Amino acid sequence: MSKVVGIDLGTTNSLVAYVGPNGPEVLRDGSGDALVPSVVSISDDGTMFVGREAQRQLLTAPGRAVYSVKRFMGRGIDDVQDEAALLPFRVGGEPGGVVRIGIGDREFTPPEISAFVLRELKQRAEQFFQEQGEFDFEVDRAVITVPAYFNDAQRTATRDAGRLAGLEVLRIISEPTAASLAYGLDKKNRGTIAVYDLGGGTFDISILKVEDGVFEVLATSGDTHLGGDDFDNLLIQLVLRDLELSGHVPAPELVQAVRKAAIQAKLDLSEHEDAEIRVGPSTALPAGYRRHISRAEFEALISPLVERTMAPVRQALADAGLLPKDIDEAVLVGGSTRIPLVRRTVAGLFGRAPHSDLNPDEVVALGAAVQADILVSGRREMLLLDVTPLSLGIETMGGVVSKIILRNSTIPASGREMFTTGVDNQTAVDVHVLQGERELAQDCRSLAQFKLRGIPPMPAGLPRIEVRFQIDANGILSVAARELRTGIEQTIEVKPSYGLTDQEVERMLIESFEHATADFEARLLIDARNEAESVVTATEKHLRRHDFAEIEQDLLPGELQRVDEALQMLKDAIAGTDREAIQQRTHALYHATQHLAEVTMNRSIREALAGKNVKDV
Amino acid sequence: MSSNSIPIRPIDHAECRTCGAGAPVDEHFCPNCSRILALGRHGDYFSFLGLPRRLHIDPHELERNFRELSRKFHPDYYYNATPAERLASLERSSYLNDAYRTLRNLAARVEHLLAIEGLPPAKSEEKGAKVPPALLEEVFALNEELDEIREARESGADPERLQARLAAARTPIDRKRDQHEATLQELSARWDAEADNALADQKRRTLEALRTVLLERNYINNLIAAIEREAAGIVKHES
Repeated sequence: MSKVVGIDLGTTNSLVAYVGPNGPEVLRDGSGDALVPSVVSISDDGTMFVGREAQRQLLTAPGRAVYSVKRFMGRGIDDVQDEAALLPFRVGGEPGGVVRIGIGDREFTPPEISAFVLRELKQRAEQFFQEQGEFDFEVDRAVITVPAYFNDAQRTATRDAGRLAGLEVLRIISEPTAASLAYGLDKKNRGTIAVYDLGGGTFDISILKVEDGVFEVLATSGDTHLGGDDFDNLLIQLVLRDLELSGHVPAPELVQAVRKAAIQAKLDLSEHEDAEIRVGPSTALPAGYRRHISRAEFEALISPLVERTMAPVRQALADAGLLPKDIDEAVLVGGSTRIPLVRRTVAGLFGRAPHSDLNPDEVVALGAAVQADILVSGRREMLLLDVTPLSLGIETMGGVVSKIILRNSTIPASGREMFTTGVDNQTAVDVHVLQGERELAQDCRSLAQFKLRGIPPMPAGLPRIEVRFQIDANGILSVAARELRTGIEQTIEVKPSYGLTDQEVERMLIESFEHATADFEARLLIDARNEAESVVTATEKHLRRHDFAEIEQDLLPGELQRVDEALQMLKDAIAGTDREAIQQRTHALYHATQHLAEVTMNRSIREALAGKNVKDV
Repeated sequence: MSSNSIPIRPIDHAECRTCGAGAPVDEHFCPNCSRILALGRHGDYFSFLGLPRRLHIDPHELERNFRELSRKFHPDYYYNATPAERLASLERSSYLNDAYRTLRNLAARVEHLLAIEGLPPAKSEEKGAKVPPALLEEVFALNEELDEIREARESGADPERLQARLAAARTPIDRKRDQHEATLQELSARWDAEADNALADQKRRTLEALRTVLLERNYINNLIAAIEREAAGIVKHES
């Protein structure tokens, strides 16, 4: 049987995990890195890169790299207009339709971009299993996580992405719930948990009751438009204002360089009280840019955003019928919860230090892996009972929404509504389905228009059409209808509001095969570059040793020069796209440094035997 | 979103879809082949959750039964099962979740009891429902006061004073609500005591009394909502 994995498809970073003999673990690349940046780039010649490599392209060719695509999943262009302004890539699409992202002369929908990231994770997993000696190392089934507050369209878009990546999506589960699963493993927990999940682009708060292995979500709330990206943007705006550049659009390369520096400063401020935003010199900015920023200044800047997370927390607590003091454990999830202000705020609200024993970046993927394992193993020790985050309703006369399934209802959930016709012999009825808490349809989120066909002709008002709404364990809706007098089942045409139709997904699947070869080449290039870089790093480490002057004496005449030459040649090759050149020069450098390595090793051994610490020399 | 139809089985078809044996109404699993049964016919929320038809429920017992049944029905445990079983799992879980949600809350529990005992519902669907006779005085007084407050707001009266008037108008309504809670508890206890012993028409009278309280309670909730909307209106006007 093929392997199953859990995938955290994040705004900023994605991860893949599985349940191994020692429990759940995330899968890492050659350098031990578990995170795959959710960035995709396509160079001029059509080569596609995903992850760290694509992230690098952001600085050199920003118009050809795409990031934070999760913010566009299941949304229309009107929703994302504001953020699109700050992004270096083209974002377009028709109003009321799916967002279209332009790279070069190609156009992609958000699920397609996410599918590239998912495929990268799939390949990482397959490589891992292959190296483990597994006979059946193919990975074609996964549990993928989404923010708890994602609506139906957003969840469906995620499932479409999985499909496009060649994955059967076993289950879509909520990120906070997944995190609680990962935590629940080593502690036989019983009590009420609040999971505060602040990631790159989304915020979720879930209140769960854990008892006897059952994780029951009592209430969930959040903001799918709030995360670390917004903190970054505040810093970026600060810098651009400083440079007196806001008001006119600065060059994309400069914005990306500023963004990278801002993110680094943000990360530094989690560890230190002070940091520097440092942008190196470039053509757009010959003198470069440096600015000191204190933690206090940063906190003042982001404090309104952090405060914005409190409203959903209070709403969720109210929906669960609980007070902050009723919460037994608070759990932090998501990279942005490393920020001290966020931690203090959460600790202050719940009156206790929140948990973050598990790596906040990895915990969601681990939980997804656990859920995948539950599904295929049939073990019944743990069970997740999640809820639908938003009320589901239909539009009725006068533009009012009639709610059929209320928010925070445990899923699977179902509801029904009766319809009839307004005109004699009417054979079809339109149903507009929405999600949201407001009274009027125009204030809620349109999910889809359903056309119920095949109603037997009858006088107006006579047909009794029962429409059944079913929300499955993924939180995704399906609809069925039957005319009760005749017992005839209606056929249903679905027109999703911000998503892809089944036909569109099919077409994309076919197209992706056509691009497969180009992508395979890109993969080989990346592997060659990675290997080259590790040899470069190792060599430079040798050359930078503080005792190098002494080692040099043991080298042959001209050897050091040869090493320097080989090193430079390899660095030049890495900057290009000629894979063979890279491979050749990697071997050349390796060869050129063999003696150096021996000499260094002997020296270390001599010192160790003499009882001296290398550092003391 | 998917357009997969959920197939309909006619309601009188009470056979196990896996082995074809006959299946009693309140069984979750086929007595013959032990596979999960489709939710064709079912009794009521109480019997589904293995509880007697009483209004006082031990919350722990309710939770325990819910967890146990969730473990038996949840789609997560039917990933490798046949399509018929998976459908049955989906249907039963949905019904189970509905049942749990309803029985967890006293008012909803009473509503359900009324429904399964054959009384009309206390939730009135149409707008402009008739005012329960016992509330006529309060409703009249409140509507008058709300009208005056609205007029005063529109002619720019001091918001603080208006809020104070609202709070004063609300007090008798809140008191009524507390009375309803107490009456509900009393009547619930009566139903539980009568359940096994009393005659049919005695039980019916208790049920009708319960229904009346619920009707009034629902009406009061609407009044309170109206008051809160007015209060929000005053705040908005200020800002």
